[in-house]
Amino acid sequence: MSSYKAFTQEWMDAWKEKIAGSKEYKEIAKDWEGSVSITVNADPSKNVSQPVYMFTDYWHGDVRDFVLCDEARAQTAKFIMTGDYVRWKQVAKKELDATKALMQGKLKLKGDLTYVVRNVKTVNKVIDLLTEVNTIFPDEG
Amino acid sequence: MNGYAGKFLEVDLTKGVSKSFSIETARLRKFIGGSSLAASLYLERYNLNADPLSAESPLMVMNGPLVGSGFPGSSRFAVVAKSPQTGIWGEAACGGNFGPELKRAGFDGIIVTGQSKTPVILSVINGEAKISPADKLWGKDTYEVTDILKADDKGLKVLAIGPAGENMVKFAAIGNDKAHFIGRTGLGSVMGSKKLKAILVRGNQPPGKANEEKYKEIFKVAIQEIKESAFAESLHLMGSDAAMDLGMMTGDVPIKNWSLGEDFELSAKLSGPTMRETYLTKTHACANCPIACKRVCAVKDGPYKTEEGPGPEYETCGTFGTMIMNYDLAAVIKANELCNRYGMDTISAGATIAMAMELYEKGIIDKKKADNLELTWGNMDTVFALLKKIAFREGFGNTLAEGSLKAATQLGAKALDSVVHVKGLELPMHDPRGFHGMGLAYMMSNRGACHLQHATMGMEQGMVSWPQLFDMKDDYDGKTSQGKAMMVFNSENYGILDNSLSICHYLMYCLKPETIRDAFNAITGFNFEFKDFLMCGARDWTLKRGINNLLGVSAKDDVLPKKILTPLQEGAGAGSIPDMKLLRDEYYAIRGLNAQGIPREEKLRELDLIDLSNKLYKK
Repeated sequence: MSSYKAFTQEWMDAWKEKIAGSKEYKEIAKDWEGSVSITVNADPSKNVSQPVYMFTDYWHGDVRDFVLCDEARAQTAKFIMTGDYVRWKQVAKKELDATKALMQGKLKLKGDLTYVVRNVKTVNKVIDLLTEVNTIFPDEG
Repeated sequence: MNGYAGKFLEVDLTKGVSKSFSIETARLRKFIGGSSLAASLYLERYNLNADPLSAESPLMVMNGPLVGSGFPGSSRFAVVAKSPQTGIWGEAACGGNFGPELKRAGFDGIIVTGQSKTPVILSVINGEAKISPADKLWGKDTYEVTDILKADDKGLKVLAIGPAGENMVKFAAIGNDKAHFIGRTGLGSVMGSKKLKAILVRGNQPPGKANEEKYKEIFKVAIQEIKESAFAESLHLMGSDAAMDLGMMTGDVPIKNWSLGEDFELSAKLSGPTMRETYLTKTHACANCPIACKRVCAVKDGPYKTEEGPGPEYETCGTFGTMIMNYDLAAVIKANELCNRYGMDTISAGATIAMAMELYEKGIIDKKKADNLELTWGNMDTVFALLKKIAFREGFGNTLAEGSLKAATQLGAKALDSVVHVKGLELPMHDPRGFHGMGLAYMMSNRGACHLQHATMGMEQGMVSWPQLFDMKDDYDGKTSQGKAMMVFNSENYGILDNSLSICHYLMYCLKPETIRDAFNAITGFNFEFKDFLMCGARDWTLKRGINNLLGVSAKDDVLPKKILTPLQEGAGAGSIPDMKLLRDEYYAIRGLNAQGIPREEKLRELDLIDLSNKLYKK
């Protein structure tokens, strides 16, 4: 099984492939419309020297753009999720549920929370599929 | 006295007299206020063995020191009595405006004893108590009576019972200004037994603060924390029913009287987002709350048409939705309105009807027994008819008015498997098969199965993280019993403070513990540290436990019902049941209970509960 360095385009492609290949996701996400950007705050002590911005876009069970981006594009997403590297790492390693992280203030969400709650299964599935990607983290590799 | 009004009012309705008394600071530091202080007074002054519906038993309405301060979430107050539903410790907390107004009226609490021969109201206006006839109000529902009493002075704050309280339905609630309800453990029936239709308060004497400048600083911090809290945003947008969608995914939501594990169509139709998009007309806030989680709803037409009024909480969407297989949110809103008007707890009312529907399906009761009603799942016409019958104790409603456990006992041994309760109180809408810690919290809660006398839900479901208070995980696995005893113990010691401080449970989840501690200290001048808070919490729990022990509670009562020990076939909680023995054994050791479930003498000494120790160990 291939491994990917976190927050690289290859890693994002692997994640996208997991989502696109999931029949369960396609069914669950049939009503989802819109993009989600992910910002990983810089943490030089963990070898994340600059903030990382990712833009992901979903449409009725399909996955569209799934790319690294700049801050400006990240701000255009329907939902903007921001958090420290250590929190995203916990989420990606399935050590911290993303919804719990959000409620505890460890991740921040900008966007319509009502929409997210209504579609919480979709959000959960996307994160679940991320945890299936064999990831090399910056402070581990 | 900073934070406190400094006086308690004691009213004897038999004699028609009242007097006030004060409590020394040392005792306030020990029990803080609210239901904890009520427990200490109950043990000292009243006969625990008296019938809850007798003249001898008191009804206590108790504030905490934060109430009336203006601090976010500080609108709460506790109502306490021996529960007519369970026969053990009874309490329920409520928000709105009554608590702060009672404080401004000059009192930290009202204790009502005795029984009037005829219906009365009690008015407490700026330090003066007055008992007045209420014959013309008897028989009116909680909305009507509140409107009448407030007609000449909208500033009056009113607690009132409806027909269910008058008829001493065992799960009768007390209405609070037509917007909030003191629901659990049947305290409305205690008011009814005293022929006390309503309590009115009005005042203009705000309590002082020990350090006004410091308080102002902390207030700003609190507002900022609430602004940044996703939990607060969720409550503001969707109310407590925000929990429905997530709960269905995680195995929290009970379905069909706790028999099914998953139904996403139900959650989609009954969820907070759906309510917001359909029947929500506006939101409503308790005093000094920037969140405004309360829903105001109206069903404008159709068979379930309602007035604009308080909308259902998550719990009610459970009991009158998922529990009875009703997919229509409008019908939930109608059932909620009926319960509010009659003055009944929506959890016990809905859960009792869900049990009856299951008994009907199983053939344990038939149409004849049910007054010719079709008790089929989701039959809302039957539900509405039953609610009226319960409130007025008519026919089959008279049986159900006793609550699910006593009703099932009357209906025969086979019926008991369908009752889902702990210590006679129906479980709220959180399934311990998805969250084992909640199972233990239900087992050990002093008012019977309860989701609010602790912070287990917040901790186990990951809504909060309080490493500054005690060791805890950010992400618990709900479906394991390992390590949960310590989590529940800690969650009780902190969460139980809601009802003594008094502060809203939700605000406790939104605010850092430091902020609550600092506000408490700025208001009272007590200079508590976390360890003092947690000691008060442990003392509170143990005192109420000891009272329950004196009322006959022991280890045999710390059990989960058969349904919860039966695995579900589907959903997130499938195949999982709490390990009751492991949970209880570990918890008993941590809590300092002996094998009979009684606090050990050394634990009582450690918590400075000497009177309780003397009573339990007959010295």
